[in-house]
Amino acid sequence: MLRLLVGRLAAAVPLMFAVATLVFFLAQANSSDPAGSILGLDATEDAIDAKRAELGIDQPLLSQYGDWLVDAVQGDLGTNWFTGEEITTELFDRIPVTLGLAFGGLLLAVVIGCSLGVLAALKAGRWQDRVITVIASLGIAMPSFWIALLLAYYFAIELRWLPAVWPPGGPDGIGEWVEALVLPSVALGVAASAAIARQTRSAMIGVLQRDYVRTALAKGLPVRRVVGRHAIRNAAIPVVTLIGFQVAALLGGSLFVELIFNIPGLGSYGVDAIFRGNVPALLGFVMVIAFVVVLVNIALDLSYAWLNPKVRVRG
Amino acid sequence: MSMSTRQRVQARLTRNKVAMVGGVYLLVVVIVALLAPLLAPHDENLATRFQDILFSPSSEYWLGTDHVGRDIASRLMFGARYALFAGAEAVVVALAIGVPLGLLIGYFRGWVDAVVMRIVETVVAVPAIVMAMAIIAGLGVGLTKAMLAVGIVYSMVITRLTRAEVFAAREELYVDGAIAAGASSIRVMFRHVLPNVAPALIVQTTLLFAQAILAEAGLSFLGIGAGSDQASWGRMLRDAQLSIDRTIWPAIPPGLAVFSTVVAFNVFGDGLRDAFAREARGGRIGVGDVQRREARPIDNEGVPVQDAGGSSASDPVLTVRGLSVAFPRLGTDDDVEVVSGIDLDVGRGEVVALVGESGSGKSITALSILGLVPDPGQASASSIMLDGSELVEMPFEQLSRIRGTDIGVIFQEPFAALNPAHTVGRQVAEPLRYHLGMSRAAARARTIELLAEVGIPDPESRIDAYPHEFSGGMAQRVVAAMALACGPKLLIADEPTTALDVTVQGQLLDLIGDLARRRSMSVLLITHDLGVVADLADRVAVMYAGQVVETGCLEDVFASPQHPYTEGLIRAIPRNVSRSGDLPTIPGLVPSPWEWPDHCHFADRCEHVTQECRSGAVALTPSATGMSRCVRAEELALKGVREEAS
Repeated sequence: MLRLLVGRLAAAVPLMFAVATLVFFLAQANSSDPAGSILGLDATEDAIDAKRAELGIDQPLLSQYGDWLVDAVQGDLGTNWFTGEEITTELFDRIPVTLGLAFGGLLLAVVIGCSLGVLAALKAGRWQDRVITVIASLGIAMPSFWIALLLAYYFAIELRWLPAVWPPGGPDGIGEWVEALVLPSVALGVAASAAIARQTRSAMIGVLQRDYVRTALAKGLPVRRVVGRHAIRNAAIPVVTLIGFQVAALLGGSLFVELIFNIPGLGSYGVDAIFRGNVPALLGFVMVIAFVVVLVNIALDLSYAWLNPKVRVRG
Repeated sequence: MSMSTRQRVQARLTRNKVAMVGGVYLLVVVIVALLAPLLAPHDENLATRFQDILFSPSSEYWLGTDHVGRDIASRLMFGARYALFAGAEAVVVALAIGVPLGLLIGYFRGWVDAVVMRIVETVVAVPAIVMAMAIIAGLGVGLTKAMLAVGIVYSMVITRLTRAEVFAAREELYVDGAIAAGASSIRVMFRHVLPNVAPALIVQTTLLFAQAILAEAGLSFLGIGAGSDQASWGRMLRDAQLSIDRTIWPAIPPGLAVFSTVVAFNVFGDGLRDAFAREARGGRIGVGDVQRREARPIDNEGVPVQDAGGSSASDPVLTVRGLSVAFPRLGTDDDVEVVSGIDLDVGRGEVVALVGESGSGKSITALSILGLVPDPGQASASSIMLDGSELVEMPFEQLSRIRGTDIGVIFQEPFAALNPAHTVGRQVAEPLRYHLGMSRAAARARTIELLAEVGIPDPESRIDAYPHEFSGGMAQRVVAAMALACGPKLLIADEPTTALDVTVQGQLLDLIGDLARRRSMSVLLITHDLGVVADLADRVAVMYAGQVVETGCLEDVFASPQHPYTEGLIRAIPRNVSRSGDLPTIPGLVPSPWEWPDHCHFADRCEHVTQECRSGAVALTPSATGMSRCVRAEELALKGVREEAS
């Protein structure tokens, strides 16, 4: 297990390097002139040139890439062109907010999705299954930003039960954090719950038809034990794969939800960076998101090894 | 199979009402999209009158107007165009890249797989929407470029899924079988792997189409998809957000449009998946209890019921009376009987072989005795007695006790029967722990003894191995150890050697024979191969098309069979054929259950058939050596084994 962990961590390094390279050059393909947009329309040529030199974007692309990479490895993601702040610092201030949001959505999704999926599979073809399947089909089809708009309007603007926007100065204490994150987490978690429920149901149905489930029944084990010991673990493999996708989807969805609820997280930082052509900020944003996803996937890889002994042998 | 797969899929799909509603709705969306310029009462972008802002629905503005006075209903119709176009573009790009790539790397593995998977991981490491944004930053904004970016990102998901499915398909024996049979790589991929990957791909593709429509809405909502002059549903939601402090209404119609279209794609895709599935439904741990059927003086074909074969077992461990199993026939409301009124006895310490070709109903008979008839099946019997306990209508929990302790089962496919996620030791120990309440240590010690008893070398170290670390023959010995764990009175062995290598088949049969003698255990051995039973069985019951057609002592049945079907089975034993001749087979196949005639089930394949055979149902009656279900049993001098069966 330790060897597997070390191996996966080692594999993550070139992966992060590849992400950095890919996104660095993709982002540079944007031809707009940041110096001009920072200084405004009435800036002189000289002022713009000076700004370009200050930002370092007058250097050749490869040397920019090299400089950026060397700094990034040391945890320095550069200076924000527009605010003048350290990007690493700005991002670290925002990480807890987005992780809280994504974790809320994921918790909701895993708990609701897995239970509904297992229940539906055990009752396949009966009314419980049909109701769950319908709910999941509806849930998966709801755009998170539409749910966010509806929740914001009904629960925040109309009913005034929960805040529509982030408290100024940030939430204070657990109570305010929960209050501020409930609506956004629900908006994020609905589609993920539905997706996990569908996958769990389909995986469970597949596993329940397998011969080893029949063997377990033939051994005289009660249904609960057969499901708990023999079916769920095998059915979990595709579900875990899906959860990996869902973590990325939740972080992506946070872009919309943070925008609608005015949450100062990573998502709103990234959207802002894209709109302003703020290349170093965009790069930093993508790297942090990728880092989180890579860590989650390493955790999931380890769980595969536990779920499927064949993987463990192949290492 | 009388219907082609395609017809069956179509028939199942059209019977699925929800899927058809989804399909019809999609058709409507497509028509609206095509005819939007004709159907829309107002222009896509121009406000009719500037002051008509945020109107409620009216006869002029069916769905009201937005914050600059544009007709929402008209924009909604044009929006269908953008949604479908965007979805199709992304899905086509994703499939065109992902499927061939996934098949390729899943099949060849090695360095190709490693390189491609690193790229896939790189792209997937970043959330789809973020990666799409990074690509859009390179490509430039606009709907077509945005959806191309989305398609590229989604192709990674398709690649990963196809590869995983190919891996799974490779685990199945049939692919190895095809490779072993010398099929070419391309042929294996397209003939054997792709059809098994297809259902999963269809599910994923529908989800992806839905996802692409959502992505289009999302990117347009953020302002980097559809332009301000394109009435995309996402763009409409973006506009609606501007007036959310006044009214939510402009967000409702476009939101519902995205939502309902995505739902329609999903339900249609689900319908397709169900239609493709080998079984229309199932998977539920629905094991029907065996229903009580009163012992009837005549059986379902109007023939008096005789006490069959059982008379020869003086001290029966198992007596089955009048066991029938029916399944609903797909596509009809009718039930079809696959087993009709079986009587069967197994004496104490006796080995009884239940013999017949596949399709004769012998395996389902075994499952019925266990109360494990798969879900839509209905088993009924007037009595199933196991050592004095009536199993018919016994509650599931109570029957579970008996299943684990008094009856042990060996199934056909050892690797399918063993759970790949648990060590063999844990699986063998499970009934010991559960039924006998043994401690972990005691169960482990006993498991080692059991593994040794079934002839697994070095059981102390093999106990912690996983099933995939065993050979087929050894894995089947593990299954045997599991079946023996609680000291069953009856061992049911359902084709225990069929899936095994020829060289180990004999060893496994010897093992079963040894175990039966040593433990004085009764065995019900189910097989299609009469040759298998020659060394092992005391008594034989021959099944054909849901009925027992002959019973008797092994020697008698081999020496002078009393039913033409038995004669055919004996003739098909390879060792009875002189070396020069071809292996004789019984012409034709076992008919499907719904084709069974009222008269003798074997008549159409029998070389001794006469008019009398087709005149009515044939009863199982006492014969010279046992019981026979043949009207000509006495007059025919059927050939048995020439030399003595040893």
